[in-house]
Amino acid sequence: MAAQYQTLSLSSSSCARPLHAAFLARPLGLSLSTSSLAPGAAAVRRLVVVAAVKKAVAVLKGTSNVEGVVTLVQENDGPTIVNVRVTGLTPGLHGFHLHEYGDTTNGCISTGAHFNPNKMTHGAPEDEIRHAGDLGNIVADFEGVAEATIVDKQIPLSGPNSVVGRAFVVHELEDDLGKGGHELSLTTGNAGGRLACGVVGLTLLESLLETLS
Amino acid sequence: MGILRVFALPAAIAATAIISSSSSSSSSPPFPFPTKLPCSVPSALATRSLRFAALSMDSSAVEIKTNFIQKDTILPELLTEFMVDMKCDACVSAVRNNLLKLDGIKNVDVDLSNQVVRILGSVSVKSMEDALAQTGRSARLIGQGNPNDFLISASVAEFKGPVIYGVVRLAQVSMELAKIDASFSGLSPGKHAWTINEFGDLTKEAASTGKVFNPPYNISEMRVLGQLNTNIIWSTMVLCGNMAMIFYLLQPLGDLGTLEGLDTGISHFSGFKERIRVSDLIGRSIVVYATEDKSVPGIAAAVIARSAGVGENYKKLCTCDGVTIWESS
Repeated sequence: MAAQYQTLSLSSSSCARPLHAAFLARPLGLSLSTSSLAPGAAAVRRLVVVAAVKKAVAVLKGTSNVEGVVTLVQENDGPTIVNVRVTGLTPGLHGFHLHEYGDTTNGCISTGAHFNPNKMTHGAPEDEIRHAGDLGNIVADFEGVAEATIVDKQIPLSGPNSVVGRAFVVHELEDDLGKGGHELSLTTGNAGGRLACGVVGLTLLESLLETLS
Repeated sequence: MGILRVFALPAAIAATAIISSSSSSSSSPPFPFPTKLPCSVPSALATRSLRFAALSMDSSAVEIKTNFIQKDTILPELLTEFMVDMKCDACVSAVRNNLLKLDGIKNVDVDLSNQVVRILGSVSVKSMEDALAQTGRSARLIGQGNPNDFLISASVAEFKGPVIYGVVRLAQVSMELAKIDASFSGLSPGKHAWTINEFGDLTKEAASTGKVFNPPYNISEMRVLGQLNTNIIWSTMVLCGNMAMIFYLLQPLGDLGTLEGLDTGISHFSGFKERIRVSDLIGRSIVVYATEDKSVPGIAAAVIARSAGVGENYKKLCTCDGVTIWESS
């Protein structure tokens, strides 16, 4: 607080004009509200960085010892790069989806269905017909650790279909990608129970951290 | 406040100062203002401006308390949906009658076939849950929102322990007003500050959630001089030649005040907060602190998530053990 104020009082030494400038600089900060990151004194300089890269993170937890961290990065309107690391799984394939809500008040169940803004049926990530939240499977090794990098165009970090505030869910079973012929294949991929889930939250960009430090 | 308006109107320029760190509690004295002003101030005016500062300081104490709207004012209504385990018409009337006993309930609409109860009113979630529990039926809140509909009107943040467990619900009731309902367990007795922080990054628990959320519009909308905003915590006017400048010290928008930890370990909070837009909070976090001191990282944090609005979650699955009532997909 002291530092912030010091800046202002310094500029007031030359009376009205610098203060006027300081006041005018505030509306510029408004454009930051779309990316919702770090308002502050160096708003104009940071704006360039903020507009280009968006970043989010989810920490996955469940009732069992399954847990993980998912980071998401999107440049401009490009695809979103999702880095996944989940531990405590049984070896093999596990369905990995983005669900509509980030509500976990009734366990991972209350995150609702797969995020599906385009009203499609369930499918594989590479399919034309799929839920936006269908990210296929992640593979756990013999130690129960699954690591994956997913690049996907249907899960942006801003706009009407933004995934921020929704939840990632790791499932008990393999997602059959809509092709299993089970009655649940076209809704859930028959991937079974929900082992762990986490809400996608906004995070500070590392590039911004560098700028700030 | 009237005096303030008289002084503020002739001012040509207002400069705003914000709290950039969250170190000050709302009751701490304002920062020291420079005693040497950069330009000559007529002594008579100086005296008046000092009085002005004193006045606004007094009013700020009141304003902070009213940042959360007091309960005796007329509150806007919100539609809340519960899924309730009901099997017969008798249950329907029991549920309806018990809810209608609450003050502030305007309408209760029961849909037996879907097992959904829709409640219009300005009552806390806790009171409604208690009223439903009294009927002996299990109930789960499945949606909340404004009848007039907003793009994103409902959100929820869940604290998952291991010490502090809790649920905070924020619902938009009008463009500039949000209802906040919170329940916590595991809070130690005494006062705990709580805030909305800018990031929803829990990789280092509360330490990675950034600063107290303070959107640019919290400052830019201060433009109307003479209209005292509820989140000014201190202001003063400086005369510089024939120019009057007003300095405001704003309470960050994300400052939610304090929670009261009780001996039972369980705390509830229900209130309305002005100038909050729920859609701007999605993906950020709610942080609870060990004491009233916000200068150290909080002891618990939860991401503010999207939750279902009214009518968005009828895909029901009732196993009728009263636990699982969401569709599993």
